[in-house]
Amino acid sequence: MNSHVKIPQGTSADLSRRSFLVGTAATGLVLGYAAVPGVDQALAAAPAHFEPTVWYAIAPDGLVTVTCGKADMGQHIASTMAQIVAEELGANWKDMRVQLASNDPKFNDPVLGAQITGGSWSTMMNFDAMSRAGAAGRIALTEAAASAMGVPAGELVVRDSVISHPKSKKSMSFADVVKSGKATKTFTADDLKAIKLKSPEQYTMIGVSVPQIDIPYKTNGTAKYGIDVMLPGMVYGALVTPPVRYGATVKSVDDSAAKKVPGFIKVVTLDDKTGTTTGWVVAVAHTYANARKAAAALKIDYDGGPNAKLSSESLLTEAKRLQGLSDSGQFFVKDGDPDSVFGSAAKVMEAEYTTNINIHCPMEPMNATAEFKGDILHIYSGNQFATRSGAIAAGAAGIDPKYVVMHQMWLGGGFGRRLDADMMVPAVQAAKAVGKPVKVIYSRENDMTMDFSRPLTYQKIKAGMDGDGKIVALSHDVVSAWPTARWGIPDFLTPSVDKKGPLDSFTVNGADFFYTVPNHYVRAIKNEMAHNATPSGQLRSVAPGWTFWAVESMIDEIAHATGKDPALFRVELLDGKGKNDGGAQRLRNTLLAAMGLAGYGTKKLPKGEGMGVACVSSQERATASWTACVAHVAVAPSGEVTVKKLTVATDVGTQVNPDGIRAQVEGAALWGMSLALFEKATLKDGGIEQTNFDSYTPLRMSQLPEVAVNVIANGEKATGVGEPAVTVVAPAIGNAVFNAVGARVRGLPISAEAVKAAMKA
Amino acid sequence: MPNLNINGRNMSVEAANDTPLLWVIREQLQMTGTKFGCGAGLCGACTVHLNGEAVRSCQTSVADAVGKKIVTIEGLSAKGDHPLQKAWIAEQVPQCGYCQSGQIMQAAALLSKNSNPTKDEVVAHMDGNLCRCMTYSRIQKAILRAASEMRTASATGSERRPT
Repeated sequence: MNSHVKIPQGTSADLSRRSFLVGTAATGLVLGYAAVPGVDQALAAAPAHFEPTVWYAIAPDGLVTVTCGKADMGQHIASTMAQIVAEELGANWKDMRVQLASNDPKFNDPVLGAQITGGSWSTMMNFDAMSRAGAAGRIALTEAAASAMGVPAGELVVRDSVISHPKSKKSMSFADVVKSGKATKTFTADDLKAIKLKSPEQYTMIGVSVPQIDIPYKTNGTAKYGIDVMLPGMVYGALVTPPVRYGATVKSVDDSAAKKVPGFIKVVTLDDKTGTTTGWVVAVAHTYANARKAAAALKIDYDGGPNAKLSSESLLTEAKRLQGLSDSGQFFVKDGDPDSVFGSAAKVMEAEYTTNINIHCPMEPMNATAEFKGDILHIYSGNQFATRSGAIAAGAAGIDPKYVVMHQMWLGGGFGRRLDADMMVPAVQAAKAVGKPVKVIYSRENDMTMDFSRPLTYQKIKAGMDGDGKIVALSHDVVSAWPTARWGIPDFLTPSVDKKGPLDSFTVNGADFFYTVPNHYVRAIKNEMAHNATPSGQLRSVAPGWTFWAVESMIDEIAHATGKDPALFRVELLDGKGKNDGGAQRLRNTLLAAMGLAGYGTKKLPKGEGMGVACVSSQERATASWTACVAHVAVAPSGEVTVKKLTVATDVGTQVNPDGIRAQVEGAALWGMSLALFEKATLKDGGIEQTNFDSYTPLRMSQLPEVAVNVIANGEKATGVGEPAVTVVAPAIGNAVFNAVGARVRGLPISAEAVKAAMKA
Repeated sequence: MPNLNINGRNMSVEAANDTPLLWVIREQLQMTGTKFGCGAGLCGACTVHLNGEAVRSCQTSVADAVGKKIVTIEGLSAKGDHPLQKAWIAEQVPQCGYCQSGQIMQAAALLSKNSNPTKDEVVAHMDGNLCRCMTYSRIQKAILRAASEMRTASATGSERRPT
């Protein structure tokens, strides 16, 4: 997150323009923020419209339904929101229910002012607002119960959805109070701010591994994802995407063979003024199977456009050329003057690190269903960025965004892929063309070749050490496509330190590490060629997934070159001086915890085995979860790497649901391993070469290592857990490989060939 | 019009013989618990049972399914209480959940033949089912938990029988 997006700093989110309403009726007690349209003009795409919306409602039967404004893609964030509300409300967990919000701005994130789910931000940015919402409900219910019972409110106790008066042994359930219609208290923003929340030692729900509310529905086939939406009269669209990732145009479409497919309706060539897609065609039919048959029968002639000859090699060559120019890019960090120090340094080292293109490929292929109903365009889809995606849908339809209603569904995996809105365009334009609701489902081949991928990255680090091996200067260049710049939302970009215009901090986050290095430059360089040819997106953990690959490998290289233990070298660098005070100490402690848990340095390992460490402040300096990993690997003479164990420690401040956190951290660590060893996409002739799970190969069960997750909850504010552990694993594995067989690999994914070649070198 | 026996009911469907069973189940029969993942038999999200065998419904034509007993996640148990489904909840397995119908159906086919699988047997049987959230270790634990519960239930059941 950049400095323009507000971060909660120990106080509540800005509620000054919001008034908290507690309405009442026999139909249910309703709690919510009044809508504030235009919180941010750049994001004010979504309408201020009709739906009566709420954070939660209590029905006369006592069930509490929390409306979650965040996309739930498996992190169980809806359940987490319910858990935070339930803590202060005093509700019984079995009474809690969840539902997913529409794109009504009143559901906007209280800190971000938009509906966007990413950055491992959700818990940290909603904790205070949900706590206060829960507390306000408890106060309203308690005062109503006091009046009904004729006792002082201060003598009442709220527990498990029951309000009781110990002295008189009277009690009322939440259901009783709601049915009485007596809860009428209204809260202003100031009232809300004034509410005294529980202190952590009073928690009875937060810190407890209550069962996630969504899980039962995901074991019996009843959870509804975007792909499961069924509307009356709905027909299906199958995509044909061009051989070039971006920039192709359709010259002609011959649908004569497609017309013979039973149930065929129409071919729609997209006219995408939002620029999200190029050269896409949709075949519409009464069933999806026939839509696919019709799509396969189309003969399409393309102009491949300006990127049709580009390959991964061309993008890398261009990245190196840009890095070599002294005036490239903008500065993200500019401390001291490394260039003037290198000349006098006792030792100077340089290294280049690369990562290949990576594909999100969540298990649910991209899809969206569009229906025009009167003036309103209804979109049904699981999406991480309703605020922007609604605007893209409107752009595809040629209507005002205020007429778009986004119906949120469970996400069959997100990982950042569903921040993008490309799926809206074919659904909307097909629905418009055929005059019926249309569900467009990508084939896996469409999904992989048209991914808004993690970009190919090239980084160069130069470090200077003094006579004691202490790092006195470090300069770090990061060259990549700029995923966030594509959004066209200025608030998500960051001003450069050298005042050369905004930069995409989501390409360099992490490079602003917590090690004390007096002279430190980080330069963000946009690879325009890659940006155009491979429109990139946010892939789980985003920049720290590559910046820490470079930084944590380089730190290891420096330690070895100066004869120091790599883990203890890090501990020395994390001295907490100056701007690093606080964070550095927490990261140091986490690293020491991981070392202790893994038995680092305590035992002699067999030949060909090694342990490597890494530690990270992902996702961003202001929102870090302090995370460290010790990877234990075995390397075969062929260079093949087997991960025996990953030991991960992470300091998350406060844990809402410990079991949920362990699930997220384990999944994230395995993502890190999968990206480190198994996942590689390549560009050739302007197109992504990998089309399905035979050629793009995420980790399977047989490749599962032992994973030990250790969560440190020290009472600091809650931080995010979905992403940080992704970023720490690749460097830990790379460093372990070096310790095992002396092979230093600087490109991801780490291949057996590269390890073997480095062993010989 | 092909006739299908699905979850114990006979249903006639309107589909060409070469239509993948997956789309007939999802669209015509509106049982959406069976998921589309890759269309190529590479991920296992669409796994159903055909005469008790786990098959990929995206690679099974309607014609191949005629005359056989098809079971989907909706028909695995009456109340979502198959030992595997209970174990999936006990171990809190699903994250996004999208692959889990297929995982459960794949695992059910194993346990119906082998009530005491080793961890290696579980891995060999489950390796074709991808989970992008990487919930693999919990899937393993849930399968072993369900197997143990099924053995206990069957042992208890046999004790009750008169000898």
